[in-house]
Amino acid sequence: MKNSDLNPMPKPSNNSSQSGPTYWRSLDQLADTPEFQEWAQREFPAGASEMNDPFTRRRFVQLMSASFLLAGFGLTGCRRPESRILPFSKHPEDYIHGEPDYYATSIPGKTGSTPVLVKSVDGRPVKIEVNPDHPAGISGTDAFGQSSILDLYDPDRAFRFTSKGAGTDRATVMDKLSAASKKFNANQGSGLFILMESSAAPTRDRLVKSIQSKMPKAKICVFDAVDTGSSAQGAEIAFGSRLAANYHLQSARVIVSLDNDFLGMEEDAPRMIRGFAKSKKAASPDDPVSRLYQVESVFSLTGANADHRLRAASSGVIQVAIDLAEKILAAKSGAGVTGLASALSRVKAAHSGKDGLWKSSSEWVSACAEDILSREAGEVVLMAGSRQPAEVHALVHALNHLLGADKGLVTYRSVENLANQSISELVSDLNHGSVDTLVILGGNPAYNVAADLEWSKAQSKAGTSIRLGYYPDETTKISTWGIPQAHYLESWSDTTTADGVWTPVQPLIEPLLGGVTEIEVLARLIGSSETDPYTLVKETFSSATGELEIEESWKKALHDGYLEGSASAVETELQPDFKAVANAVESADFPTNPLSSDNLEVVFARDYSVDDGRYNNNGWLQECPDPISKVTWDNVVSVSPRLSRELNLKNEQVVEITVGGSTVSGPVWIQPGLADFSIVLPLGYGRELTGRVGEGTGYNAYTVRPSKSPNFAVGAKLKATRQTYELATTQEHGSMEEGGSFMQGRAIIREANLDQYQEHPDFASRMGMEAHAKNEGSLYENPLDNPKYRGLHQWGMVIDLQSCIGCTACMVACQSENNIPIVGKAQVRRGREMHWIRNDRYYTGDIEDPQVANQPVACQHCETAPCESVCPVNATVHDEEGLNVMAYNRCVGTRYCSNNCPYKVRRFNFFDYNQRPLDKLYWGPLAEKGMPDLLQMVKNPDVTVRMRGVMEKCTYCVQRIEQAKIKQKSIAKDSDNIRVPDGTFTSACAQACPADAITFGDTADPESEVSKLKEHPRNYALLGYLLTKPRTTYLASVRNMNSNMPGAAKPASFKEYEEKNGDPFAHHGDDHSDHSESHSDTEKKGAH
Amino acid sequence: MSDIFPKWTNRLPLMALIGGAILGVTAVAGSWYYLTPEYSRVGYQPTQPVPFSHAIHAGQLGLDCRYCHSAVDQAAHSNVPPTSTCMNCHIQVKSTSPKLEVVKESYESGKPIPWVRIHQTPDYVYFNHSVHVNRGISCVECHGRIDQMEEVYHAKSFSMSFCLECHRNPEKYIRPVDQVYNLGWEPEIAVDSELDGSAFIDALKQEQISKGKELVEHWDVNPPTSCSACHR
Repeated sequence: MKNSDLNPMPKPSNNSSQSGPTYWRSLDQLADTPEFQEWAQREFPAGASEMNDPFTRRRFVQLMSASFLLAGFGLTGCRRPESRILPFSKHPEDYIHGEPDYYATSIPGKTGSTPVLVKSVDGRPVKIEVNPDHPAGISGTDAFGQSSILDLYDPDRAFRFTSKGAGTDRATVMDKLSAASKKFNANQGSGLFILMESSAAPTRDRLVKSIQSKMPKAKICVFDAVDTGSSAQGAEIAFGSRLAANYHLQSARVIVSLDNDFLGMEEDAPRMIRGFAKSKKAASPDDPVSRLYQVESVFSLTGANADHRLRAASSGVIQVAIDLAEKILAAKSGAGVTGLASALSRVKAAHSGKDGLWKSSSEWVSACAEDILSREAGEVVLMAGSRQPAEVHALVHALNHLLGADKGLVTYRSVENLANQSISELVSDLNHGSVDTLVILGGNPAYNVAADLEWSKAQSKAGTSIRLGYYPDETTKISTWGIPQAHYLESWSDTTTADGVWTPVQPLIEPLLGGVTEIEVLARLIGSSETDPYTLVKETFSSATGELEIEESWKKALHDGYLEGSASAVETELQPDFKAVANAVESADFPTNPLSSDNLEVVFARDYSVDDGRYNNNGWLQECPDPISKVTWDNVVSVSPRLSRELNLKNEQVVEITVGGSTVSGPVWIQPGLADFSIVLPLGYGRELTGRVGEGTGYNAYTVRPSKSPNFAVGAKLKATRQTYELATTQEHGSMEEGGSFMQGRAIIREANLDQYQEHPDFASRMGMEAHAKNEGSLYENPLDNPKYRGLHQWGMVIDLQSCIGCTACMVACQSENNIPIVGKAQVRRGREMHWIRNDRYYTGDIEDPQVANQPVACQHCETAPCESVCPVNATVHDEEGLNVMAYNRCVGTRYCSNNCPYKVRRFNFFDYNQRPLDKLYWGPLAEKGMPDLLQMVKNPDVTVRMRGVMEKCTYCVQRIEQAKIKQKSIAKDSDNIRVPDGTFTSACAQACPADAITFGDTADPESEVSKLKEHPRNYALLGYLLTKPRTTYLASVRNMNSNMPGAAKPASFKEYEEKNGDPFAHHGDDHSDHSESHSDTEKKGAH
Repeated sequence: MSDIFPKWTNRLPLMALIGGAILGVTAVAGSWYYLTPEYSRVGYQPTQPVPFSHAIHAGQLGLDCRYCHSAVDQAAHSNVPPTSTCMNCHIQVKSTSPKLEVVKESYESGKPIPWVRIHQTPDYVYFNHSVHVNRGISCVECHGRIDQMEEVYHAKSFSMSFCLECHRNPEKYIRPVDQVYNLGWEPEIAVDSELDGSAFIDALKQEQISKGKELVEHWDVNPPTSCSACHR
């Protein structure tokens, strides 16, 4: 979208049924600006098929004709070249060329790991899948897990040992380490400082402890750019010991989340998503369904999935927590409860002096508290986000005890804190010159330590700094010695999952670029005789099992991917100390001035694409749209619609944010649903030193992040500038609305409230055009009504919108499985992103406080596919099992198919994205050609790598289908047992989905999971009235609204649907008069 | 005056037209044929680094194909055996033969023997050996009588129509699974001395088709003929 002079902000109006759209994807669409009209009505966005910049069309023709001329000279030797087959001299055992092997390992995390199975073909890992047998009970990974395979093959990762930035050899650096070891063993570690990130790694912990005992004067600092320790600190206040809270949401009925993005950027998201999705599955109308209350300032993925969302500044969440606690405590009795309650009232009285300071949302809080108290013990659970201070966590822990949540919804286990120094203490030690040797394991302090601590200056005062890092980044640059770090797929290590189960990290490949692991560096620092990570991990394992003979259990644990029975003991009989909680809350920080447009709150958030900056050079993640804003390749300054009106801000306008004297500038993004005076600065961008992918993306929010309040800061100022910065967002791409503007009864998203679902389980089939058309039978039989496919299997998919949370893991999984290239920011702006599955996010309702609906859309594999009939070369045809297949070799690139596709799921290779550098796409033959060797290794060998000029789209993972069929036929041999049993395999998106929202299978088998779901009353086809007969169908979603909540009787969408199209539960077919008027009304609008 | 263009020149345009047409057809047909695998691949017989004779090993000695190509019934690719497979026997048999120099060297050094590739499908074709040999399609259908070849050559064209011919009419080629590696297998027919050469072959074909139809039905053989079968 070009910036317009018009402010695209529509006036909030109540008569939305008359003028506004039901669902909208962007503010431009809501305001129906000319830009949006043009975008939506064009088959391809403006300039999509033109060679516009940086070359002119004429220049392009000149270059091309020159290159054709040159090509003529090279046309010799058309024979196929002689090629060789090089078999092994001695064959490795159990290896079959081209057949995949799977290894159980895990992705290390800060508080717990994600257990995975990694597919390896011919010795190179190519795909990450979840380990379904692991007791953690995870059914999928997140986008970070899926894309971690790309980091392994990143050509920009650190590949050499460095000395003051210049290359040196491994031996020199290792000698330095052993020299340091000798020195610190002798002087008890005086002057040795170790800085590392938190990690749940038993062997690393063991080695750190060994350092602490051998070198008691050594200092250990554990620093995370985004700290997740506040929950454990809260537990320390409430229970007197450091405990990690572990939530089990599957049996929860009410979930109250205070600024906790547990479905998105909090730790252990895949497991939380699974539990949350299970708790609200609503497989049958009588099933209990959980209800999620979310209180937050940012618009998070969790907020998007909430049944009720309260917008509150992050600094004001503590007020909501206290309000809520007061109401709950009033209904409870017991020792200490009244004391806590009176302490809370005192706090409230003390801090609501000024008008509007104590942000009252009493109606919301009362309705929420009433709901909580009406439930039985053990049905309600409260959670606070790691952004919130320990006091809020302590309060939440105490309330969870009172509500009986600690009977199963939340369990506690004790965790150790090995650090004996904080980052600010380390910085002051550095500045005092007391640091002889600083060892930095991972992290990137030069980039992500709060700017006011001036890390780079401090580090330069260390005698020697040794850095183990994955990238040659800002920190390596200023370190004396640099050691390249090994990827987790190259390392021996171990982790524990959130519940403490011992899980191995085993390598699938030798370190590609000679990387070293954390535990090897630590072992060398200790000076231990054993520095081989494998042996070190095995030693830890041996002590974990407590057995002498471990060979068999070691093998089993490596095979299974976990050690049975190793889960940490769960703390029972915990009694919160209400007095300590009361004291803590009384001494907590409270806002002193009400927020306004010149006293703003700044929230620092982990970014959905790059986290704290660690995935900055990962192209899959950079191009994966943010689940809410749908912005790719950049971070933005999110402001609320109200603030944008008050300060007259426009999207893409560059603004300056000043927080405590530091200023940073970034582009504005008007985010519906944001708390009024909170602005969100996602971290992780604006890197000074990163790889070719991350270079030049976004701005660096760390530069204004105060070390005192790293999660949110009050008192920020925002100043508009006259500059603009172009952003690439996909929120309007793939629009399925007619005339671009309105859903017009197309009912792309279908949802209802729980009681409506219980009354009318088939509500989904009553919405939309099909339900309105009176079926009078046809004069002639339509041959397309029942297309015949003679194949044994008939593949189909069901996507459960009730379970889908919109996390985009499927998009990255598909990218990994199907060799989908990234195209770069400039191409995304032109609508040329290549994702085979996209995740549509719709807003509905009030723009200040909208509801969100998600919908993953990939090729629907229509039985009567409109794309097939327009292909002039038969490149897209149906196969006998109902797949709409693409023959890349036949495709000549007319793009007629994409034009005719009502779902807009076809993707065209405008350039040779795989072969050309993304910043030189327009150079044509002048740009260098070819993929870096490392990047070639990430490609799935079972899928064709497409070239320029061909169309592509979702294939239902045809390679997996064919492999499963082939395997079954090989088993069948001379019998007719060739039907692939249900559950043998699934598509990449379904396999990756942490919410189990996607089901793929054989619809010809009535017993298959997918066949049963197709019979589900909530099943509906997207744009079914077009009679495309899609093989992918959706299960409509159900919102579990609290009817006592102000203004929340129905899902906003449902209400608006009803106003536009009439009651879907009224009789259909014969009484069209009541809403024919509204239809013609919208049609007229669509025509302009 | 009238002799500048003699009368026969009147026919010149016609002749040029016909001549041009013949030339054009010949050129198109010629280059068409030239570009098909029928021409470009069939008969390709490169010199291998080791003069290995399939005729001796598979033919005379009767080694099963799978002794060396051990993954053919388990994987998409049929492997070329590692040097160690050769040395299983040749550590004793003919261990001093100069023809085995390259093999021994490879066995000792660990370096592979650089066999020259003969059969190759394009990168966009995902052919799978295991499903064919496990479902009654013999090696011979694509590779010819390897057991009679002194040095292997490309026997069949491997064009898409070659594949489709079988996928459309599997009964013409299918055989019992226990005869897949018996390259010389023929369907049994009652020996009739009166049948001469071509009649005998016709009878064999008839028998193959009727037997093949039976197998196709019993095993529910339904080879895919759409793009997704091979192109992914």
